[in-house]
Amino acid sequence: MVRLRTEPVAIVAAGVVTPLGDVDAFWSGLVTGTDAISRIERFPVDDLRVGLGGEIKKLKRERRGGCRASQLLFAAADDLLARAHLDASPPRVGVVLGTALGGVEEGEKAVAGDPSARRTAAALYDGPAHALARRLGCRGPALTVSTACASGATSLGVAADLLRADAADLIVAGGYDILCRFVMRGFDALRSLTRDRVRPFDRRRSGLLLGEGAALVLMARDRDARGRRLGRLLGHASAGDGSHIAAPDPEGRGLASAIRIALAEAEVGPEDVDFVSAHGTATPLNDRIETAVLKRVLGARAGLIPMNSIKGALGHTMGAAATLEAIMCLLASREGVVPHTVGLEERDPECDLDYVTTAPRAARPRVSLSTSLGFGGCNAALVLEGDAR
Amino acid sequence: MTGSEVAAVGVVTGWGRSAVALPPDAVRAAAGRRVIAVEPPRTAGERFRRATRECQLGVAAVEALLREASLGPEAIRGDETALVYVTAAAYGSSNRAFIRAIASSTLHFPYTAPSAVPAEVAIEFGLTGPYVILIGGAAATIDGLWQATLLLRRGQCRRALVLAVETFAECEDLWARGRWLVRPPLVESAACALVVPGPWRATYAPAPAPSPLEALARARAGETLACAPLIALALARAAGDAGPVTLTGEWRGRRAGLAWEAH
Repeated sequence: MVRLRTEPVAIVAAGVVTPLGDVDAFWSGLVTGTDAISRIERFPVDDLRVGLGGEIKKLKRERRGGCRASQLLFAAADDLLARAHLDASPPRVGVVLGTALGGVEEGEKAVAGDPSARRTAAALYDGPAHALARRLGCRGPALTVSTACASGATSLGVAADLLRADAADLIVAGGYDILCRFVMRGFDALRSLTRDRVRPFDRRRSGLLLGEGAALVLMARDRDARGRRLGRLLGHASAGDGSHIAAPDPEGRGLASAIRIALAEAEVGPEDVDFVSAHGTATPLNDRIETAVLKRVLGARAGLIPMNSIKGALGHTMGAAATLEAIMCLLASREGVVPHTVGLEERDPECDLDYVTTAPRAARPRVSLSTSLGFGGCNAALVLEGDAR
Repeated sequence: MTGSEVAAVGVVTGWGRSAVALPPDAVRAAAGRRVIAVEPPRTAGERFRRATRECQLGVAAVEALLREASLGPEAIRGDETALVYVTAAAYGSSNRAFIRAIASSTLHFPYTAPSAVPAEVAIEFGLTGPYVILIGGAAATIDGLWQATLLLRRGQCRRALVLAVETFAECEDLWARGRWLVRPPLVESAACALVVPGPWRATYAPAPAPSPLEALARARAGETLACAPLIALALARAAGDAGPVTLTGEWRGRRAGLAWEAH
């Protein structure tokens, strides 16, 4: 197949809400190795095997703000707009958000008998994206992507496509998800949650913990960004496993394909990659497969590239995860430091790459690779370029 | 070749197993029924033992597409076929079953994800190419068709399946509360278009008004949400119009348009 060259897209600024706080607190928490996992307090968890997660304890609620998912998005948008302006005509500003759960908590309430029509509409998975578009006054394309836990990567890719095709001048893109009974029950039933701490790539790892958050970036065509930017998205790709409804392909073929295509689109080779932000959920299967795929695709270079997973600090924030990880890559480049993998203490012999452990590492990655995997065999890869100070 | 075209469309609806089965007037044909349900053909085999109705419908739509195109499954197998899946709400029934603990929670939970339908389709047909899942009504399907043309143009695939599935029966009471979002009859549907390299240039833009095909699909099929643009394509093809075509789709006040035109 003949591949066309694609134009890089600028990531102008970022805004987040996480268990660690806004972008500044998120970054300082990662660098200091803060573990944001705690006992979940917002809803009952006593009947679950595991009641821990990366819960946001304090969230400014707006009186007419709608559901919690929308509230998270509004908080992240406030953080974003404190750092950048939406200086384009409203019909030329779009919103592209990734989510694994959308407004499902509203669905729980509706099914439980709450007759509110507003509740029912908010239960649809694209409800929060439209709520954010309304709040920001964006009248351009408003898209919701739901490639499970790869959603926050796919959304950045779709946003880049919209900009390259001149379907918008600015896009507020990213991902979000909340902790709620629905998802805690699901992962609890699957026995995917650990009773220990989250330990990506550690030989004692026994599962993931969930977290909540919203992560947004403002994206523009690189030629329109007029020098102001956090970094650039050079390439992106997705690929399906076609293998299993919930487990990753044992050979990681979809992930390998997504990484190869994203690198090709970015016109970079393994020798150009300075840092890998791994999906690193800390499930026995994911971390082993991901390591094997990175070794296969990046070859001898794989063992020389610093790598981390931030899920030990935050938990798996599902739809927000990949966008948070992309932001972390760009901040690492700007700040000249790579956060370490919280929870990784005893490396698994099968996971034998250069994971950053114990303490952050001084490094200023220019090109970063971020990988994501999700339920249903959804895989995505992003190739990012930081704008070093 | 940087253009594209739609090579075939497969349609399964509550009215029957092709676009030809659609009534001339869906409202009249519904005779007051709010939901026109469809029972997908049961897909055999152990692997489908737990598959939900919406997953079975997704598989049925791809099978209908292959019949329409006179292709075998090997024609789409592999990493050169992209899969773009769109739905407004087909995950609703599985979510409800999980919330009410009607289904076995351990094994049912993965089916609550919107990604379950394309996963079952990808497993069944061995699709390992690019993968996009969009949530929304007809406007999202226009976005999805445009994504398919982009994936072709960027050389990330040789062909793309754009699949949409909508089910309503299990959540009929909830839909009754959201009257401003949908207009009965709600017609359960699954549809799949095969987009391939072709002579037409695809132009994607906001649409100020419904295209004639959008109006036709609405009149003949009823409310099919994300399936509507694909049903419109099927109707155009059934009328012998496989050339340039203009599609529109509306959802939550946004109307998107995609026109396949001569270069």
